[in-house]
Amino acid sequence: MTTVERRITRLRSDFDRSFAQPLGSHDSGHVELLAIKAGGRPYALRLAQTAGLHPDRPVTPLPGPLPALLGLAGFAGTVIPVYDLAALLGHPVTDRPRWLVLATGTPPLGFAFHEVDGHVRVAAEAIIGEAGGAGRRGVLRGMATLDGAARPIIDVPSARAAVHTLAGHAPGTEEATG
Amino acid sequence: MAEARDPLRYFRIEARELVDQISAAVLDLDQEPAPDLVARLLRYAHTLKGAARVVKQSEIADRAHEFEDVLVPHRGETPVLVPAEEMRELLRLNDEIARFVGELEKPAAPPPENKPVEMAEDDEPAPRAATADLDELLDAIGEASARIAPLRDGSRTLSRLHRGVEALGDRLRVGRAAGDAGARSAVQRLAGEIGVLGRRLTDAVDQVERELDEVRGRAEGLRLVAAGTIFTALHRAVHDAAEAEGKRVRFAAHGAETRMGPNVLNQINGAFLHVVRNAVVHGIESAATRKAAGKPDEGSISVDVERRGRWVYFRCTDDGRGFDLTALRRVAHARGLLPEGREPGQQELIDLVLHGGISTSGAVTEVAGRGIGMDVARDVALQLGGAVNIDNRPGQGATVEISVPLTLLSMNGLIVEAGGMVATMPLDAVRQCVRLPAGDAVTAAATGRFAHEGQVVPFLPLARTMSLSAPDTTGAGVAVVLVADDDTVAVGVDRLAGTSTLVARPLPDLAPATPVIGGVAIDSDGNPRLVLDAHGLVAEAHRDVMVAGAPPDPGKPRMPILVVDDSLTTRMLERSILESAGYEVDLAASAEEGLDRAHRRDYGLFLTDIDMPGMDGFGFVATTRADPTLGHIPAILVSSRASAEDRRRGEEVGASAYVIKGEFNQEELLAHIRRLIL
Repeated sequence: MTTVERRITRLRSDFDRSFAQPLGSHDSGHVELLAIKAGGRPYALRLAQTAGLHPDRPVTPLPGPLPALLGLAGFAGTVIPVYDLAALLGHPVTDRPRWLVLATGTPPLGFAFHEVDGHVRVAAEAIIGEAGGAGRRGVLRGMATLDGAARPIIDVPSARAAVHTLAGHAPGTEEATG
Repeated sequence: MAEARDPLRYFRIEARELVDQISAAVLDLDQEPAPDLVARLLRYAHTLKGAARVVKQSEIADRAHEFEDVLVPHRGETPVLVPAEEMRELLRLNDEIARFVGELEKPAAPPPENKPVEMAEDDEPAPRAATADLDELLDAIGEASARIAPLRDGSRTLSRLHRGVEALGDRLRVGRAAGDAGARSAVQRLAGEIGVLGRRLTDAVDQVERELDEVRGRAEGLRLVAAGTIFTALHRAVHDAAEAEGKRVRFAAHGAETRMGPNVLNQINGAFLHVVRNAVVHGIESAATRKAAGKPDEGSISVDVERRGRWVYFRCTDDGRGFDLTALRRVAHARGLLPEGREPGQQELIDLVLHGGISTSGAVTEVAGRGIGMDVARDVALQLGGAVNIDNRPGQGATVEISVPLTLLSMNGLIVEAGGMVATMPLDAVRQCVRLPAGDAVTAAATGRFAHEGQVVPFLPLARTMSLSAPDTTGAGVAVVLVADDDTVAVGVDRLAGTSTLVARPLPDLAPATPVIGGVAIDSDGNPRLVLDAHGLVAEAHRDVMVAGAPPDPGKPRMPILVVDDSLTTRMLERSILESAGYEVDLAASAEEGLDRAHRRDYGLFLTDIDMPGMDGFGFVATTRADPTLGHIPAILVSSRASAEDRRRGEEVGASAYVIKGEFNQEELLAHIRRLIL
């Protein structure tokens, strides 16, 4: 097999494999992370806790009591509130974030942040676990070391819980009212 | 052809419409016999008979014929006197016709012979499928909107090319090197043609986008049903209960045009049937008792439907004896629902009824006790997230009110821009839009007051409410005068950006907002657009400044104006402008309808669109000019056509003024009208 053929074979199999592997990998030894920046600081998100990443999504500002609530975005006929991760984490709100990630769970909820540094797959042991929540509003849980730098991991369910508290939304309301 | 395979396809639709009209008119006739009702009923029955004969539905045709036979002797009779037994016969025939028509509407039984299978698929869809059809329609509209984006890009590319070619032309003209006169003029021509093409394309794309937006809004509105559709059933329930009880009861209903989701309306209808029946049976007294109490013999029950913001209120008011507090007290005591040793207050007893504690009827007979109806009303209200209230006026009557929040709300919106944000105001609350020169805008924003038609109203700069960081209005703007809760306020915006039909939904969970935001709609690009709440705006304006606002003086009576336009939005917008200026306005949706109306009433002015299906606005103006009875009434053409040719044609046919919709300036319009109307 020539070098070129080997290379083509490898590229082809990589390409095919990229489809075969689902987003939240079944491989328990590894964790899919999204390396991001919010308010100028590096963080990481667990991909399995998200339901989609969107750049430059128009967000209609919604005047109201919560500065962290950036506004509303439309997704296939559904209107979704979008919160600024930087504001939730207590960073001064600077410019409008460009990226938007949808949180898993109900009711629908989106988080916005400024930059995507990359999508990485790290060995589970590279993540330093933390039992309780840390940081402002307890939304940080654990750290991941990427490229020699440590990134706090934003726990999406905790961030959702923080939003529920801010918005005065009782957990489980949607089940109660059916 | 579908008609060939299903000859009843169109008959079902027509028959349903006629049956509904007959059902409503029979009840009206019973209540208030009038010659025109007899004529109308005869017309309906005759049309139905004819149509039924054509499609060989002899049961329906025969009954329609009998119906006519009963009424014919009363044609032209003044006053109309239909004896009670004839009235009963009409109602019986009405019911039978309704039953036959209802059977036709049921899904067809399996065909007796071996018919091709595809026949079944072509059957009239069941009403339920309409929602699915609408969803598909909305998807298709969304798709069409998405397809316009490349066209919009194309027109931008074209205008870039146009600039390029013009630059090239300039270079050829100035530069000595390429001094070929032929090439120069060719380039100039090319630039001209590209320019024209670009403008046409932009205009066409703009227009298509606007129309699509309108279509989308209306299609979404189709999901909603007018409250009036349940009035006939309620009227009939009142009539039947009154007849069973040997009472005379007059029924009235208001708010037929309020629209809501069919699910909400169905449930309310179920509950309100109990409520109105209760009102007849338990509320309205016998004629003798009424007479003794100094009331008219005939009892009265009215159903009112009203929308306020996101809430809809269904009210049933009777002028009977009110709730039987003694009976309530007795039952409550017997069941041990009341604390010992204390006399419960009136409201406490009523609350017991509402909260499912008691019913005053021991045995549930054909005529159920008030408690049963209240249970149903309460359940329905709870299910829909609303509430029931009772206003009891012992001896005078009672009002039962069910209020429920609407999830989807079809409305006409006025699109406004303020502080860089776009929002929609409910058009039905808007009374007037007044242009504000920069100086006036600053004064109004600084003082929070605005002079409007001889009174001072609170002024709320929208930008300040919508965003804390937005600077106060410094430039010129528009003051939108709106009325809610019988209160007038002015809201300052930077610009008006047109009107649209839209469906507003509530804000999603986890999105708390200021009370001026009533909900959210989705625009044709799929992005949320905020919908302002008129009540919230009024409250917010008052929070800033406390100015007592008296209702505006009704203007002196003037001749009414007839607005002819096939666009609902334009009709409503023009009506709101004209009514706020104190004119009485009638509407017609086509030139033909306009002509018909023009002959039936004396108007001071016609205001007509040009582009309409059927006869156009030029035709309308020309026809009225040629008519000796209408020729003296001035006519104004209002159109989006801006060409000199159209203006000239307008003059030729005899229009008194020509107003361009794109530059729609209500002051200009009102100035024309003041000049023309006495």
